[in-house]
Amino acid sequence: MHNAAAIATAFLALVCAETSAARDDVDPVGTWSCVVWGHPDFGDERVLLNFDPRGVARLARIENDAVPAWSGLTPWIAEDRALKFSDPRTGRQYTADLRRDNLGGSWRTMTTTGGWWCAVADVDVVPETTQERVAALPPILPLVTATPRYPIEAIRLAKQGRVVTCFLVDAAGVIVEPEIIELSDEMFRKPILVALGRSRYEPRAADSVLRPSCRSYTFSLDRLAQHEIELEFD
Amino acid sequence: MVRITLCGIASCLMLSPALGQKPGPPELTQQQADSRTVLGVVNEYLAAGAEAIRAKDYDEGIRLTKLGLDRPNAARDRAAALSNLCAAHAAKNEPDTAIGYCTESLDINQMNWRAYSNRAYAYYLKRQFDLADSDLDAALSLNPSARQMPQIRGMMNERRLRGRVTMEEHQ
Repeated sequence: MHNAAAIATAFLALVCAETSAARDDVDPVGTWSCVVWGHPDFGDERVLLNFDPRGVARLARIENDAVPAWSGLTPWIAEDRALKFSDPRTGRQYTADLRRDNLGGSWRTMTTTGGWWCAVADVDVVPETTQERVAALPPILPLVTATPRYPIEAIRLAKQGRVVTCFLVDAAGVIVEPEIIELSDEMFRKPILVALGRSRYEPRAADSVLRPSCRSYTFSLDRLAQHEIELEFD
Repeated sequence: MVRITLCGIASCLMLSPALGQKPGPPELTQQQADSRTVLGVVNEYLAAGAEAIRAKDYDEGIRLTKLGLDRPNAARDRAAALSNLCAAHAAKNEPDTAIGYCTESLDINQMNWRAYSNRAYAYYLKRQFDLADSDLDAALSLNPSARQMPQIRGMMNERRLRGRVTMEEHQ
């Protein structure tokens, strides 16, 4: 009996060790196609990030439908399974949790915060021509956007909240590898994941690379006027 | 449809334990005991009425409780019986009658959180949510651990709040 328990425990330990080993940290070295988002007033950006093994970090952003030359970032460092670097031009300090399945995280300045999410880019260097540059960071267009349902339990408890999710979009327009980046309450997780599963983007026939995207959801409650409540009862 | 099914009448409406309940561990602190048992003085009609209401035989419960009220009773028993009548009428979807009994009960004993809770439910039935909120607050201040109040508040929130989800696409 004791032997059986010991064998089972050893098996579980082995499985856990293998599972743990299989989940390596994300290696940031390489070029990444990223979306950087923040306060709506500043808009979102699609950028290329490049991290080389020596610690050099570079960024190239789309401006006026073009991607200018790389601009330098501070050297990237990885400590405590977190990636850190900053952009001297914008003052943004970027961090990423390398234990995630994908490269991405948050950024902050003295006054604002936001996030970023990346997919491995299909380019090693910034293309020289404008057309090539734009092609390096193609937009992905929503085709079907499912709305999450407001959890009835959240309504009962008068809970409002916010969720940020980031994911990749494959060539068929299907959302893959969704991750919840910000979650004000656990009860909002399931409706978000269900909605993402029902959402689609325009298929990209000429582009088989995964593309990053993020969505912010705000769950808010409106108090109905008395006459609206009467209607609800009828 | 009034969402009684989510919070069944029996679980939302509060019967005074003073009337006809089997002895059990006290639910309230001594400070909150105003709405509770006065052992040995309850008349049998009030006790039987409470049992009938608990068994959802509301008409019989109302009849027996009214018979019991015709007899001399301690003030707290009377208040508890009126609160039970309030509960029974609320369960029968007669909120106006229920509110009258609850108010009468509270005139006798302002510390009876069950009467506040029952009246809150009656106000909920009348869609008078602000008044219901006020009674729920009063009930919660007397008995913060009562399970019924969050249930009633949740039912009201279902009716008076509309959820809205806004999405922003980042790319």
